[in-house]
Order: sequence, then structure tokens, then C-alpha cells
Amino acid sequence: MYRWLSLAIALAPAVAHADQVAPPPVAPPDMSDQAIGASIGAATGGRVTAGGLRVAGHFLYQLSDRDWFDGTAAFTFGGGTAACFRDRTDTFICDHGLAQGDSVELEAGVRHFLGGQGQFWPFLLGGIGLRGVDFSSDGVNGFALAFHAGGGIRASVSPGVAITAQGELELGFGAFNHTLGIEPQLGVAITAGVEFRL
Amino acid sequence: MRLLVLILAVSACQSSDVSRQVGARCDTNADCDVKCLPPGGDWPGGFCTVLCDTDANCPEGTRCIDEQGGVCAYTCAADPSCTFLGDGYKCKMVDSHGGGAKVNACTGG
Repeated sequence: MYRWLSLAIALAPAVAHADQVAPPPVAPPDMSDQAIGASIGAATGGRVTAGGLRVAGHFLYQLSDRDWFDGTAAFTFGGGTAACFRDRTDTFICDHGLAQGDSVELEAGVRHFLGGQGQFWPFLLGGIGLRGVDFSSDGVNGFALAFHAGGGIRASVSPGVAITAQGELELGFGAFNHTLGIEPQLGVAITAGVEFRL
Repeated sequence: MRLLVLILAVSACQSSDVSRQVGARCDTNADCDVKCLPPGGDWPGGFCTVLCDTDANCPEGTRCIDEQGGVCAYTCAADPSCTFLGDGYKCKMVDSHGGGAKVNACTGG
């Protein structure tokens, strides 16, 4: 009995030490529970989807070990050439190019880290946004609901600062004026940004 | 996936034989890239077109006809070739612009 008690006492510190070994991180170790960021890039449009220069602001809030809420305000600035017309059946059609029109979007999404090494941490992202779209040259505007899905990578450059690159597919539907009614939203956005830990 | 298919299907349904450049309906020049031939007997529903001196100035499928100083109009072989423009359009022999020859083009009247 005395022998067993001595063994238990002798091993106790070792067991306690093993419990304190941290598991490998599943998200960037330097990422805090809150962060803000800004990004810039390009978005493709077409028909009644606005495309052009994409500028966005982000607020990140930690939801779990791997997941962060990503609240985004995104602005798209495209060209302004008129591209809508009435076809021979008197149906109003818009045929805007890849970089035409303007939009403002508020998006709620989730960034899910896949696990990484060192400074580089790839992630998936998904979300839903409400956007206002305007093609001023044609007097066409409307509101749309857009679903976002994509991925990217985050690279730490200092304890409080990181840079990101991401691409996403944007799909949805919107309601537009000029008898257009319900129209699809389809585009791709590629952006690069910087994030600051709060 | 279904959403993607639906959006692509809806997008595909929106293609048109005409454009703001040539063929769209119009009331004023603002409805077109360049010029509107206003609604009337010759151009039922109005007809967007571009100015031309020769056929080389016209988009594919159109030729430069001798009207209003030269405008592009769709060429045709017979009346059925013009049905996509709607009621009132027929295949007629008109003067080509600049060449002095005749050409079959879709017009009204």
C-alpha cells in the first residue's frame, strides 16, 4: 500500500505536466476575438449585377475555435455606359458588362479556418448580404439578396496585423425597376486586405 | 447547386437578337447607342441603328442602306427573315448607301 501511494505521488507532477501541453492551434494564434479590416479588389458583374472596383470594410468576431463572424460593408464602383434597351417584343433588357454599375452591400458571414502552418492560414467563407444596385446611366436600380461562398488565406505580418487574399462567388436574386422585375445576381470577387487585432 | 442552375438558366433566357446598337425598339436617340429611327410606317416600333458610309461600318448581319444619310439595317433573303423584328417588317429591295447597288433589307411600310 505504501509502495503504491509513493508511486502515485511520484507520478502526479508528470501527469499534471502532460495535461498542460497545449494542443496545436486550429486558427491563427495571433488572431484575437475581435478584429477590423479593409480590403480592395475587383468584382465581376454583368446584366444587372454591378462590377468593378470593390472596396470593403470588415468586422471580425470570434464564434468558436475555428470560426469568426465576418460583418462586411462592401462598395462596388463600375463604369456608367448605358446598356439597357427594349427588344422587339418590347421587353426591357439590360446587358451591362463585367465592370459597370455601382452597389452597396451589407453582408453577414462566417470565416472558417482550415488549419495552417506558421504565418499562413487558409480559410473558407460563406455568408449572405443585402445589396442596393444602381446603373445610373439607364436609370435602373434595385435591391438584391446575394449568397457568398469562397475561400482565402490569411498571413500574419506582425502580432497585431495580418494580410488576407480571398475570392468568392456571389449568387442571388434582386428586384429591379423599369419592368425588369426579379433578376439574377451572379459575380466573382477577388480582394486583398489588411486586418488589425482589437 | 440548384440556385446556381436556376440563375444560369434565367440569365440564358435573357439573350436577344437585337441590341442598343442595331434593332432595339426606340422612341428617341436616348434609347439607342447612336440613333433612333422613330416609330412610323418605315420603322414600326422604332429602330435603333448606327450611321454608316459603307457596309464596313455596319455590324454583322446588317448593311448600309441609303436612308437618312446612311444607316445600317438587317439584310434578308425573304419576308420570314424579318419576322424577328415584329409585325410590319418585310424584306424589301432598297438602295445601298455609297455603292449605288440594291440590297435586300428588313424595313416597314
